[in-house]
Order: sequence, then structure tokens, then C-alpha cells
Amino acid sequence: MQNKDAFSNYHPFVNFFYFGLVFGFTMFFMHPVCLLISLFCAVCYHICLNGRKSVRFLLRYAVTIMLLTAVINPAFNHQGSVILCYLPTENPLTLESILYGIAASVMLVSVLLWFSCYTAVMTSDKFVYLFGRIIPAMSLVLSMTLRFVPKFKAQLKTVKEAQTGMGRDSANGSLWKRFRSAVTCFSIMVTWSLENAIETADSMKSRGYGLKGRTAFSIYTLTDRDKGALFWLAFCGIYLLSGSLSGGLFWRYFPSIRGVLTEPLTVSFQIVYFALCITPIVLDGREERQWRSLQSKI
Amino acid sequence: MKKRILCFLLCSLMIFSLSACDSLGLNPAELQSSITIPDDGMIYASVFKELKEQNKVTTFIGESNGFRYEWTVFGSDIDAVKDLNLGIEFVEESGKKIAFSYLSDEDFGFSPVLSIYLNEQWDVQSATVYEVSETDSTPKCSASLTGNDKSILNFSSTTQMGYFEIMPDTVQNTEADKTETPSENHNSSSVKYDPYLSDGVNQSGKVPDQSGRVLSDGKDTKQDKYKTDPVPKGKPMPVEPEDQEVDTRTTYTCTFSIECSTILNNLNDLDPDKLDAVPSNGIIFAAQTVTFYEGESVYDVLQRICKENEIQMEASWTPMYNSAYVEGIHNLYEFDCGSGSGWMYRVDGWYPNYGCSRYQLKQGEVVEWRYTCDLGKDIGGGYAIGE
Repeated sequence: MQNKDAFSNYHPFVNFFYFGLVFGFTMFFMHPVCLLISLFCAVCYHICLNGRKSVRFLLRYAVTIMLLTAVINPAFNHQGSVILCYLPTENPLTLESILYGIAASVMLVSVLLWFSCYTAVMTSDKFVYLFGRIIPAMSLVLSMTLRFVPKFKAQLKTVKEAQTGMGRDSANGSLWKRFRSAVTCFSIMVTWSLENAIETADSMKSRGYGLKGRTAFSIYTLTDRDKGALFWLAFCGIYLLSGSLSGGLFWRYFPSIRGVLTEPLTVSFQIVYFALCITPIVLDGREERQWRSLQSKI
Repeated sequence: MKKRILCFLLCSLMIFSLSACDSLGLNPAELQSSITIPDDGMIYASVFKELKEQNKVTTFIGESNGFRYEWTVFGSDIDAVKDLNLGIEFVEESGKKIAFSYLSDEDFGFSPVLSIYLNEQWDVQSATVYEVSETDSTPKCSASLTGNDKSILNFSSTTQMGYFEIMPDTVQNTEADKTETPSENHNSSSVKYDPYLSDGVNQSGKVPDQSGRVLSDGKDTKQDKYKTDPVPKGKPMPVEPEDQEVDTRTTYTCTFSIECSTILNNLNDLDPDKLDAVPSNGIIFAAQTVTFYEGESVYDVLQRICKENEIQMEASWTPMYNSAYVEGIHNLYEFDCGSGSGWMYRVDGWYPNYGCSRYQLKQGEVVEWRYTCDLGKDIGGGYAIGE
């Protein structure tokens, strides 16, 4: 199996811990600098993992979602002390609601990007390795569900091609005919997915999945490198958690914008947050440099 | 390619974080636990210095002669820090009045709200604070009444020395004040189309008052189609906003005010973020005579006043009650000060049991928008929500 980057080579627990921290902090830190750090790192990592495809995704979907949420918020939220003008509903349009809309959209897009990175790094075998012992049924269901969408898409393509080959093309013919062939296609897919789910479950059961005392093969070992990474992640997590609990990352949007920005402690929290988010990219860069220097020596 | 994108993102990050820097000079206001006033009343300058420097809000609680009193001090109001005597001595008085003297022999330099907890309920809309000297007594300011079954008097006075008396305002229904004095003579009002006279309401025996508004005869027993309970006898019936035509040629005046002094008595329940939105004297819009047009409802006037005075106000139309619902004024929203909090309106001492878009205003009426922290019970309007 080919890994996408250096960070994917780390122990699944390190991967999972990292994403857990990043998701949590991205969702709960509404400090604008933290949001921008998170967005920036998410975009960088997404580009690292997916290359050119990522840029297209970013421009097409991320920007649209961002603009949409940024516009929707001030249309429904009228809190804030700086009134810019009045909307047709006679409710005020406030500066705070616009800024909050932008912040919320940045948060939404960065979480989306982080999840996209998560699916690329945390493959289902890693997930099952981590949770197969603790919550066997749950982790199987989860990994099956996560796998379902790409599998369904692939199968749909196959079925469609087969149907077209049989002359039941859903792109040609009268409206009724097209509708009928689409419904046939859909019905085939539903049957297939049900059958597939039962088959997967049965095959896992016949292999003794989830039985007590059953061991499972895994190629993952917790090396010193992984321990070091875990230590670093734990440090960042504790430091940032204490920072947010002590109000060092305080930021408020309503009724008026108030927050800490340039205090030394706040800056230190933000530096640590940036260091945490950028970790996989740094690891990848280091590995690449090492690889290149080794190559030249040979 | 990759590097260029990173560079662009870094630049935009810097610009964005710089643009977000404005309006951060002030600390957010913070609530501090209350301080008990010692017997001699002295509070030292260091306490006020902390309040001022950290923009804190606190209450100073004292007791004298069976009365509890509370000062609500906003650190942002304090100009000069000095030792202050916050003590008050209440004097035993017969009848319905409160007499007290400040222990302080100088003014504070700012005017915090003083709340006096009475041991009985005053069944009045407001009270007046009089400064009493040896020769006469002069009205100083008016106090608003809150409190559930025992009244609380809230007022902020600029003077904090001398002998004072608080007396309840007797309800003055001076008809001379209420008679219509439209600025433009509009003597055709009885002839022109009037929704009350043409629809079925009038047949049930309800009589329009002199302004053409229908008063309730108190005989209804059922809710109307907008879920309004029967209107008490002698009070105006609700008017549907879609039937009303605003006639800007005829102008009237009414007294209008917006206040939230009951929040100052319940600061512990307040959403800490909203402390910045609470005015330190509890008054958002001081009582003023304002102009309105023929056919306007309380909501129309509220909306115009908030726009003109740049007071934030949010309302949403509720079809079920055929009225606008005022969610928040001055960034103080419903549920911001406990689960029973929100805005209510009172006209001439009565909290109408229907929405503010359905109350048609009349010349000379006194409209008060008041914040409640206990479903209206603390501001004398519990029945309006069906109690």
C-alpha cells in the first residue's frame, strides 16, 4: 500500500489523535487568528495530499460554500452594535453579524477540508485497527458506511454501462423511457447495496470478527518516532486547552467585538496552534529533504 | 505553483488579521461577586480602582432599618477614584413613602443605580424621588418599580448626599392631557371609513371611545382568532395591522421609553457577554414625548424610534398572533437574563395581552418598553401572559 505522505506512515493512533485535536480546536476556537491558521494549514495539507485535484476542489466548492455562509448569516442574524443599514425585513444589518458570518464560513470550510484530509490519511484499515477491539460492531459499521459512498459510485458506473450496453440508456429516448431506465438502475443499486452489506457482514462474521480472544494481524508498531510525535501532540493539546480555558484565546462577536489579540500569551498560543496544525506538512517536507539528500549521496 | 499559492494565502492571512484589529481597545465588562457595605458605609478607593481598571461591574449590598439596598456600579462610569461612603440610613416613616439619608457628605461623581428592596408591594407604575431640605422638597428623579411580590425601587440620581423621600406616583388620568390635539385639524374623522364601525365588532355592543378606538366591554369569554384571551373591560380591543392605514397628515404625540432596570436586579442570571449592552442606569431610551401618525401601532413607533436613535432592535413577524414579536432591543434579547426574560410593553400602566402591532396608539398615551426577567411578574405584568 502506498501512503500519500510521511504523516500517513505514522502509527494510526498518532494520526487519529492529531485529527481529533485539530477538529476539536477548529470547531471551538472562534478566534479569527486561530480560524485563519486552521484554514491555512487545512488548505496546505489538502494540496499536499491531493495535488492539482485539490485546487480545483477548493476553487469550485470551498469558495462557494464560504461565500454562501458568509452571506446567509447577516440575513438571519441581526445582533451587533454597529448598524450599517436596514434590510427589507426592517431588521438591521450589523457589522458584527457580517464578521461572524465570515468567521463561521471559514470554520465550516476548514472543518470540511480537515475531514477530507482525514479520509485520505485515516484509511478504513487504520480505523478498524484502532477500534476493532474496543467497539467491533460500531467500527465495522462506520468503516462500511464510509466506504459505501465511493463503492456505490463505482458500482453505479458499472451498472449504467451495462444498462447502456443492453440498450436501456438513461440518456436517450423519451422522457418516460428515460425515467424507467433510471428507476431500473436505481432499483438494481438498492438491491446490490443491501446484498453487499449482508455479504460483508457475513464474511466478517465467518472470519470470527469481534470474537473474544481473536487476534488480528497488523503491520503497525508504535516506534520511538511515533512516541515522539505523540508527546508533541499531547503537549500542544494540553497547552492549547489550558490556554482556551484561561481565556487566553477569548474572542466574542456579539454584542460588540471584543477579544485578546496581541498579548504575549495569546501570541504564544497561536504559535503553538500553528505548529500543531502544520505538523504533517513539516514532517512530509523533512522526509522529502532527507530522501533527496540520501539520493544524492548514493 | 504550490509556492505561489502558499505565498498568496499567507499575505491574505496577514491582511485579514490586521483588519480585525479595530475596536479592541476596551476590555469586555465582567461581573464581579457582590460586596457587602460595612456599617459605617466606607468603601475604599482601591475597590473602585479595580472596578475602573478592569471594567468590572459589581453590586454593593447594604442593610439599614429593615431595608435592603443595593448599588450597581459599572467600572466604566467611574471617573475619579476616591474613597466613597455608600451607606444609607432609612428613617421610619408612616404611610406609603420611604425616607432615607445618605451617609456620604459628597457626590460620587458618577450616578450608579440604587435599588431599594421594599418590604411590601407598591401597586403603582412608578415613584418619584424628592430631595427634602428644611424648607421644601423638590422632585429629583423618577424611580422605576420592579420586583415580584415585594417591590424594588430603582433609580440613578446625580446627588448622593442629603435627605430624600420616595413617594409612589398617584395615577393621574388627567383627561385634559388625553384629549385629541392633532396638529392639523382633521374634523372628518367620524365620517371617514373606520374598520371598527364597518365590521362585525361593533354589533356586539362595544363602543368606540372618542378617538374611534373600540374599548372592550369585558363580556368576551373566548379567545379571538389570534389566540388573544378576552381583553379586560375598558381596555382597547386589538386592531389588525392589515386593516390600518397610516395617515401621515395627522400627527399625535405620546410618551415613549425603553428601560431594562430589572436586569440590574438579576445580574447573576445575565449572559456574561451581554453585560456590555446593559446601560449602567438601566435606561435605553429615556421617557420622551414623540410624534406618531394616525393609525400607527406601538410597534411602528418603536421601530421608528430605534431607527432614528440607532438603537439595535430585532423583531420577527408572527402570523399566529398577527403581530411582530420583539426579540431584542439594544442587543438585549429574549432569554438573555434567564429563561423567563424578554421584552414587554405597557401602555398607561397596562400590559396589553396582545402583540404590539395590534395596539393602536392614541394621543397622550404613555408607552413603556420594559425588560422582564420573570415572564412579566417582576415588572407587574404577569397577567398579560395568562397568569
